[in-house]
Amino acid sequence: MPSVFVSGLPRPSLKLYSIFSAALLSCSVFYAVQTANNNQGLKNNSSQGSMFSSLSNSSDTLVHQLKLSSSSGFLAWALNVITFILQDPLSIWAVINAAVCGLILTAKTVQVLVFGELRVVEMQHLKDKFWNYLFYKFIFVFGVINVQNMDEVILWYTWFVILGFLQLLALVCKDRFEYYLFSTTPTSWNHIRLLCLLGAILVLSGVLLIAAIGVGFFGGFNTFAFMAAECLLLALSVQHTLLRYLLHLYNSRGNNSWSRGHLPYYAELICDLTILILELLHHLHMLVWSNIFLSMASLVIGLHIKFLFYQIQRRIKKHRNYWWVITHMEKSYPEATSEELAENSDNCAICWEKMESARKLPCSHLFHNTCLQSWLEQDTSCPTCRMYLGIRPPPGMSSVVLSRDALNTPRRSRSPYHYFHFDGSRYGSWLPSFSVEVTHPPQLLRLDSMQSDSSSQIDSMARQVQQLFPDYPLSTLRDDLHVTRSVELTVENILDGRIPPPSPSFEEENGTPGEAPSSSSSWQPFSPSFTPTSSDVSIEPSEPLTTGSRFSKSPSERELILQLRKEKLLLAARKKYLDRQAATSSSGESSTSTDQSHSKVD
Amino acid sequence: MSGSALRRLMAEYKQLTLNPPEGIIAGPINEENFFEWEALITGPDGTCFEGGVFPAKLVFPSDYPLSPPKMQFTCEMFHPNIYTDGKVCISILHAAGDDPMGYESSAERWSPVQSVEKILLSVVSMLAEPNDESGANVDAAKMWRENREEFNKIAQRIVRKTLGIPT
Ligand SMILES: [Zn+2]
Ligand SMILES: [Zn+2]
Repeated sequence: MPSVFVSGLPRPSLKLYSIFSAALLSCSVFYAVQTANNNQGLKNNSSQGSMFSSLSNSSDTLVHQLKLSSSSGFLAWALNVITFILQDPLSIWAVINAAVCGLILTAKTVQVLVFGELRVVEMQHLKDKFWNYLFYKFIFVFGVINVQNMDEVILWYTWFVILGFLQLLALVCKDRFEYYLFSTTPTSWNHIRLLCLLGAILVLSGVLLIAAIGVGFFGGFNTFAFMAAECLLLALSVQHTLLRYLLHLYNSRGNNSWSRGHLPYYAELICDLTILILELLHHLHMLVWSNIFLSMASLVIGLHIKFLFYQIQRRIKKHRNYWWVITHMEKSYPEATSEELAENSDNCAICWEKMESARKLPCSHLFHNTCLQSWLEQDTSCPTCRMYLGIRPPPGMSSVVLSRDALNTPRRSRSPYHYFHFDGSRYGSWLPSFSVEVTHPPQLLRLDSMQSDSSSQIDSMARQVQQLFPDYPLSTLRDDLHVTRSVELTVENILDGRIPPPSPSFEEENGTPGEAPSSSSSWQPFSPSFTPTSSDVSIEPSEPLTTGSRFSKSPSERELILQLRKEKLLLAARKKYLDRQAATSSSGESSTSTDQSHSKVD
Repeated sequence: MSGSALRRLMAEYKQLTLNPPEGIIAGPINEENFFEWEALITGPDGTCFEGGVFPAKLVFPSDYPLSPPKMQFTCEMFHPNIYTDGKVCISILHAAGDDPMGYESSAERWSPVQSVEKILLSVVSMLAEPNDESGANVDAAKMWRENREEFNKIAQRIVRKTLGIPT
């Protein structure tokens, strides 16, 4: 939310800021009311001379204002006050400040109600998107529309602030949804809250669209097109997330295996293409409208258009491949008969679930229709026996295109389009680092999106970790962050000793071989809870949890059982190793180890 | 897509919990992210890695089992088929499309019928019998070929380290 974007800046607490803004706003309103009354008094002073005497006394004015409000002229008076506030250069800033404060408070409320604590990755995405958005809108307002009038600037910025706020909210929703995709822990309450928020954003973007139509009446077609395109894009992307979300819920609840039917596929395809084409048109419109070719603005827009065009091309290629695989399957691989299904008692080898219907490959291996299709989109052999199926790529597509890298998210596609990077931390620790990329947040593979996280993100995360552990070199932390992609996990790795400390201290001896490691400098590969006391408990053979013969329904219990099983395995291995060592050393040099123990134990 | 990947991973987790292979434990450390597992692998008996318990991390892609997971040891490792950063280089973990070594036949590579259990068992046999032709760690491969005694010494040091026993 806006409050987190500026987390690098030295800023007062939210509470102080809101009190300050409220005070500022009430001051300016009060000032405006006084002046308005003053003006009115000037108009009426022929009849009401007494008014002048009370001007210096504010309480009197307030009483007068109340009197006025009860009279019929209230509306006119209120209008008077509002116009005054809007025209006064100082008051207008108070109002803008109050509006920003209100927005931050709203964001905070939504965050507490729906998301709870934001994850580090979500914050990073938000930050990146925020600076990106700011950059683009700056270009739009000064490069494309070329606004000169201050009023217009303020109007456009109001519009963009509201729109940007909703866009960022939608981004967090999407991030959180994608996080839920990989988790077994979220409850239905989590899902309901997120779905409600997504629905609300969708409704609000509809409201904005109506506003855009209203403005278009006065502002002309171009203004309308600019505004409407952005509303539509927002609405479509939210709708896309909603669609995927509902599909996912349906898919994970229902037992229908791998249910990736045609309908959801085409819904997603249409959604993707509509968004891309709309965005392309919007950018073309901007390019044409900006008039000033070869300016910075048209360069940025041009690059983005190139990227969008490439995306559309890729999406169509992917679809052609999908379509080709489907027709090929229908043609070459018959549906398995019910006898064949009855004969084959195995589950589908791809998803490990029962087969009610299946397709048969020439090697007579059976698979679900959709499972097989997803596999054939990227490979041309039977998953089980590796028989080459002799599928040739569809006409017009080289075999290189069929290879998985071209079909999935391009792994390194971000770097060629990454052209503007600002590393603020080089100039001052509070300055933001951001890169403006002409790319979207990747939509397909999560793994890829994680890998392509810009290096500035990793850097800032590494710096966060280094504040906690100053003696670890930045490069080590960065390496680990590349793997974990989360500050928490890296911190955990350090605490658990999975990252070797900077000085090779694990060569030092800390206890005799017969004792459990007791000091922190000895290398403990697992959790900090791996201490002699906890191990004594878990090594009990009667412990029912550690037998590994039970698979709990609750995630937290499963985690606990796994942890206990690991500790048990490690202890058993230790015991075995030490026993064997004792056996060999008792025959050989037993004196050295006892000497050591005397010198080290204290 | 990931809904079905999640279901398959859950099925594998269940199977690995109920019928664990000897000396192998694997599962998600934190189920908030079910696509990242930790595995413990016991070094096979009668080899230089005997007795060690090696922790490794498995990261699954969202289209699992269509694409293979990535595996990386989180302890220090010295082995011809393990990169110095712990990444494991065996053919079963390579997607059918890419072939970094250039000599693997596609029959040895990833396919959806493989599973976590099969991967971990392959890693155990890799620990027992390194393939010194694939040079994930050239130094280790060279030492394995030319100076087996020194290699065994290093392996023993690593084994003791994973067990938390000071050398
Ligand atoms: Zn299936
Ligand atoms: Zn077959």
